[in-house]
Amino acid sequence: MNTLELVTLEEERAVQAFLLREARLLDEDRWDDWLLMVSERIHYWMPGIENRRREDARGGFNAEHMALFDDGYRELQRRVARFKQPSAWAEDPPTRNVHLISNIEVYAGENPGEYRAFSCFVNVRSRGLDEQYQIAGRREDVLCREGDGLKLLSRRILIPNATLPCKNINTFL
Amino acid sequence: MMDKPTTTLKAIESTPPLADLDRICDMQEGRMAGKIFWDSEIYEQELEKIFARCWLFVAHESQIPEPGDYVATTLGEDEVLVVRQKDRSIKVLINACPHRGNKVCFAEAGNARGFICNYHGWAFGPDGALRGMHESGVYEQSGFDKSRQGLREARVDSYKGLVFATFAADAPSLADYLGPMTWYLDVILDNDEGGTEFIGGCIRSTYECNWKIAAENFVGDILHAGWTHDSAAQAMLGGSVTKVSELPESYQVNWNGHGYEFARDLVGNAAVLGESAINKYLHLHSPKAAERLGEFRARMLGAVSSFTVFPNFSFLPGQNTVRVWQPRGPNKIELYTWVIVNRNAPAEVKEKWRRGAMMTFSPTGVFEMDDGENWEYCTKTSRGKVTRYQDLYVGLGMNSRLSDTELPGNVFRGQLNEANARAYYQRWKDLLQARTWAEVPDRNGKLD
Repeated sequence: MNTLELVTLEEERAVQAFLLREARLLDEDRWDDWLLMVSERIHYWMPGIENRRREDARGGFNAEHMALFDDGYRELQRRVARFKQPSAWAEDPPTRNVHLISNIEVYAGENPGEYRAFSCFVNVRSRGLDEQYQIAGRREDVLCREGDGLKLLSRRILIPNATLPCKNINTFL
Repeated sequence: MMDKPTTTLKAIESTPPLADLDRICDMQEGRMAGKIFWDSEIYEQELEKIFARCWLFVAHESQIPEPGDYVATTLGEDEVLVVRQKDRSIKVLINACPHRGNKVCFAEAGNARGFICNYHGWAFGPDGALRGMHESGVYEQSGFDKSRQGLREARVDSYKGLVFATFAADAPSLADYLGPMTWYLDVILDNDEGGTEFIGGCIRSTYECNWKIAAENFVGDILHAGWTHDSAAQAMLGGSVTKVSELPESYQVNWNGHGYEFARDLVGNAAVLGESAINKYLHLHSPKAAERLGEFRARMLGAVSSFTVFPNFSFLPGQNTVRVWQPRGPNKIELYTWVIVNRNAPAEVKEKWRRGAMMTFSPTGVFEMDDGENWEYCTKTSRGKVTRYQDLYVGLGMNSRLSDTELPGNVFRGQLNEANARAYYQRWKDLLQARTWAEVPDRNGKLD
């Protein structure tokens, strides 16, 4: 889809509110509430980034490459289940998160009731007394109407890093 | 195997061994000091006496099938290019221009007709030979000999798809280096007539930990899994991980510091991926594997198991994650990971493995998250000057060596054992004490 069709201000505001609320739920460790914002048809994808030359037809990422997330709903549920285990020793004391969301653009989606949203994020995590990790990136989402609300139908997350500058990503982006 | 010592490297000076190695590491007593994970002098010795000397994993042949295909990696902190040649052989070239040392290739992988330095335009063929440069006339006027200025080469050899390289002209052959451990490596590399391949490229991440704590975990520390990884097992399986002490048969085996620990439960590791298609594949494939490997090893395919080839190449059967713990200072590593599969496995099974490895053992993997925490703090606590000199216990399973077994290598009873860790650190110490490969003692048959 090459044309970007604007939506009404009201729709744009609803999508923005969705993205900002989602970030707040993650910062508050409300993973179950976050999952309620996700469609069971979700494809949640964060490909690994390859440092290749411009002329290389494979590009910097592709669907066959290893990913950091390449999840359906079952995988997201499993990740949430792990965060919530009392035996997730490394999460106690908990990791503290801030998800900053910006550069939001909202357009009409391919199908009626769908929206295509671009955004940027900065995720700052701190653990223990002094550990701090920062990841920034771009997201491209498709949101859809399910029931009486919006749900996240697909998300593509691209970070600039070919080597992750930290040991893990123990949150959603 | 091919083994052509074609190196054009100048040897580096050997420095004297550290004076306090016995205090840092005493495996007869089953103890070491935290300093082993936190010391820049030790690290410099390791770069020289281990990483510039041992055979190190650089690539799987499937990553570079065609002439001109290359991947970039490091031997220790030395940057190298692994390049497929016109004659299908493989060269490992130092990724630094012999003029001012600039990197000649900045991509992590690709296909190239050659490599051209960005600085003064020195241009090298895929074989590393210097072909020409910007303003080549002025070099010719000064009697320049192009044939002496190629990219420097390491020795290369391979074992069933795995390519290794070493900078040491006096290193034993790769076959001697691996010894009888190849019998165990074949469980992964040779359980199917089609052999193996890497899929999905490389995922890299950064840990603030010493490289040995990670390598040691894979050489023989299944003990941590039941405790460390309980949350991940609960999430993936809805229950705890296999209780290893209740498995009817399990072993640790080692040789020259390499270690493989395993049970014979076929799918114990693979099960945590939570993908029934993978369990089914392993059950169906095991009888075929038995035709190549025999019944004993056919039960190891995806079993509760792990291994490390000394010093920093590790693998988990079942989860099929392959990894190199790249040293980046005494308290930092870059972790390079790949996924290995049987080339002939069905496409949908390969895809399950690609995602399953991501879900369990990758920077977002529910198992790996807990490992990273442990390893970083095993390293960081040793920054304390006093803590650094306190003993760390490595004595589990002393006197568990099996003498009445036909299994190759140094064989120990039971996976819940630190026999492989002791053999690993003993090899580390032996290499740090030896000035040449000829001085490295043979401990096989003598370890407890």
